[in-house]
Amino acid sequence: MKPTKVVFFLLVLLLVLGIGAGLSREARAAAASPTPLDVIKWGYPPKFKNVTINVVGDAGHNLKPYEFWKGDFEKVGITIQITEVPFEGVYEKEKTEFVAGTGAFDVVTFYPAYIGDFAGNGYLEPLDNYMKKQPAAVWDPNPTDVLAPFWELYCKFGGKVYALPIDGDVLMLQYRKDLINNAEEKAAFKAKYKKELKAPETWQDWLQIGQFFTRKKGSKLAGQVLERDFYGSAEFAKRGFSFAWFVNRWAPYGEPYFDKDMKPLVNSPNAVNALQNMIDSLKNAPPDVLGYGYDELRDAFIKGNVAMVVQWTDVPKKGADPTQSAIAGKIGVGRVPGWEIGGKVVHRSMMPVGRVVAVTADSKNKDAAFWVAKHISYDRSLEDVSTTLTGLDPNRTTHFKNPQAYKMFPNVAEAEAYLKGVEAALADGYPEIFIPGAAQYADSLDLHVNKALAGQEKPKQALDAVAKEWNETTDKLGRQKQMELWNKALEAYKALGLIK
Amino acid sequence: MTNSPFLDRLRKRRTAIFFALPAVIILLAITVFPLIYELRLAFMSWELTTNAPARFVAFQNFGKILFHDARFWSSLRVTMVLIVFGVGIQLTVGTGLALLLNRLRRPRTLLVSLFLIPVMIAPVVAGFQFRMIYHDQFGPLNYLIELATGGRWRGFAWIANPKIALIAIMFTDIWQWTPFLMLIVLAGLQSVSLELYEAADVDGATPWQTFWRITLPLLLPVIIIGILIRAMDSFKLFDIIYLVTGGGPGNVTETISFYTYLQGFKFFSLGYTAAMAFVQLIVITVIAKVFINFQKRQQEGV
Repeated sequence: MKPTKVVFFLLVLLLVLGIGAGLSREARAAAASPTPLDVIKWGYPPKFKNVTINVVGDAGHNLKPYEFWKGDFEKVGITIQITEVPFEGVYEKEKTEFVAGTGAFDVVTFYPAYIGDFAGNGYLEPLDNYMKKQPAAVWDPNPTDVLAPFWELYCKFGGKVYALPIDGDVLMLQYRKDLINNAEEKAAFKAKYKKELKAPETWQDWLQIGQFFTRKKGSKLAGQVLERDFYGSAEFAKRGFSFAWFVNRWAPYGEPYFDKDMKPLVNSPNAVNALQNMIDSLKNAPPDVLGYGYDELRDAFIKGNVAMVVQWTDVPKKGADPTQSAIAGKIGVGRVPGWEIGGKVVHRSMMPVGRVVAVTADSKNKDAAFWVAKHISYDRSLEDVSTTLTGLDPNRTTHFKNPQAYKMFPNVAEAEAYLKGVEAALADGYPEIFIPGAAQYADSLDLHVNKALAGQEKPKQALDAVAKEWNETTDKLGRQKQMELWNKALEAYKALGLIK
Repeated sequence: MTNSPFLDRLRKRRTAIFFALPAVIILLAITVFPLIYELRLAFMSWELTTNAPARFVAFQNFGKILFHDARFWSSLRVTMVLIVFGVGIQLTVGTGLALLLNRLRRPRTLLVSLFLIPVMIAPVVAGFQFRMIYHDQFGPLNYLIELATGGRWRGFAWIANPKIALIAIMFTDIWQWTPFLMLIVLAGLQSVSLELYEAADVDGATPWQTFWRITLPLLLPVIIIGILIRAMDSFKLFDIIYLVTGGGPGNVTETISFYTYLQGFKFFSLGYTAAMAFVQLIVITVIAKVFINFQKRQQEGV
């Protein structure tokens, strides 16, 4: 055979294989959808005139619901066009399009920390009137079903509703219940610390239990000889969200980020104590913990390297799946540890990331866009949060009252235990800063917390630097306007009992 | 109609102007206009977070960068370390490899192609790759170290140890770009006349003398161009930082381009970002000027 023919033959073969692979991917995608559960009762709207709704969100499994329920949208004359953006690039992409006024998107998925920026600058459509339209089965996203912190802090701004929740991101305690409940370990713990071994209630417990379980390769853990080093705890200590793991420790003191005059409270003695606790906990963590983001922290736990972590609520679902996890059936969940204040332990769980959907102010098909948002946020939400095909987490009462939907757990009792943990975490939920400038405030806090963790700054020095930078940011963005917005936020904090 | 000498000249060069005009217009549109716009922006305060209108602040942005922004200077220092040490190592190793390859005949083409694979990989892919390689618990690097030392040492927390993270980033850059300098030096070596080496051989020069007196001086112009290209690239190093460390731990790997990105696309402080970009432009122009002058002097000397 001539060389040109060989090349031609190979090219054709590649093309055929490529198309085959593509087709099988399509087929797989179609097959990999959650089964409709028919728990939430909803109705189709009157048919739209073949409109295209442009949706934007972070790339990957959290945009899958638009593919799962493609048929529902097509039935009412809606075609969904998805734009995927990297996780870290969502804000910059959406903000740039908003500022340029391109009108590129009808429905935006974003992290609620930016609701102040997006709603405050008029980029989003207020949803209150759409929610009141009749019939309710078609238009009402049932806000009373959404857990209070999520609805009040992340979906509303300035008293109006601008977004609907799709992902109940909150941090929760996750620990190895097989280790905590092991009789041998319990006895050893009692002998060493003169108290019962149980899941950590306070951040002092966290240090103590973390230290207890940190062991070298060759030593014994629950009767087994360790083949590699084992660690008591781990943190999200990489730049990006390390600040949230600090706020978990600081928020129980009841000090908001700023006082009513926008004076930063982040360098208080309580905050310094909280940061010191986080630094101390690194002694019980893997040596590369300063490089741990979400993936690394999840893997360290579900691959059986670490006894306990504070993580997002989707991790126990993945941890229950034996194909992904080395500790399936061994995960216990609970409230994020707190501090004993006035004779009782006060817990706070940060709610970093989260996802909400909103309709853009310059959408040309607002009714259709709202129905798409409502359909994803409510009608099909139980299916979307109870599958391992997405990373979306429960955020509504309905999600908590239907443990049978969470098939990844070996039985309903385990699913119930998981859901109770998530519900408790959401009840302790504590928000990120969500007024305009959120990204700058968060970056300053994250940078200096990270410097303290890396030993570049002392805790007090780091938090003083944060306070200084926060003041500079406030002045730059306009102190008066920021103060007005912050005081509105404080009212929501107070209404939810997060501060006195 | 007046007959000024200027108009006369224009008329005579009508055809030349006609052909040059499209290029000039495109250059104005895509280079000169954005540059002037950005320069104007550098004297404004424009915070997109609040949607407040831009306002003129004269030299305030530059004053803040030069005298109050410690983070700017720290990220510039990180960048300079990467340029001085990173590009220095790339040059040394690249030149060594080029000298070795230059002695080979038949397998040279194959080896050069293999060496060039890292250069062809997108930095974003290299970033992902090294993030996995450097993983302390599950990464292949520490696994191999542990295997080689019989379990006595299991390597470092490469990207998590504040004392080592910058070296790990530098190594990634070295891995990716050394072949580029190797290629440039190899091309230079192949243009050196063999007669010069034959003459040196006749005069009884040692290989070391031949390298210092003939090879290196003749390669210098090529090497300077290579260093200049790599220095400018290193100044823009972003993808690997973004993927591997995110600028951490602390700020030990935060480069000037990463910090500029944060100011521009996370904080949306457009005036301040423009001023930062201009300060960087001045720094890189000074560096380029120093190298180009040095190259000129060398060429005059030769």
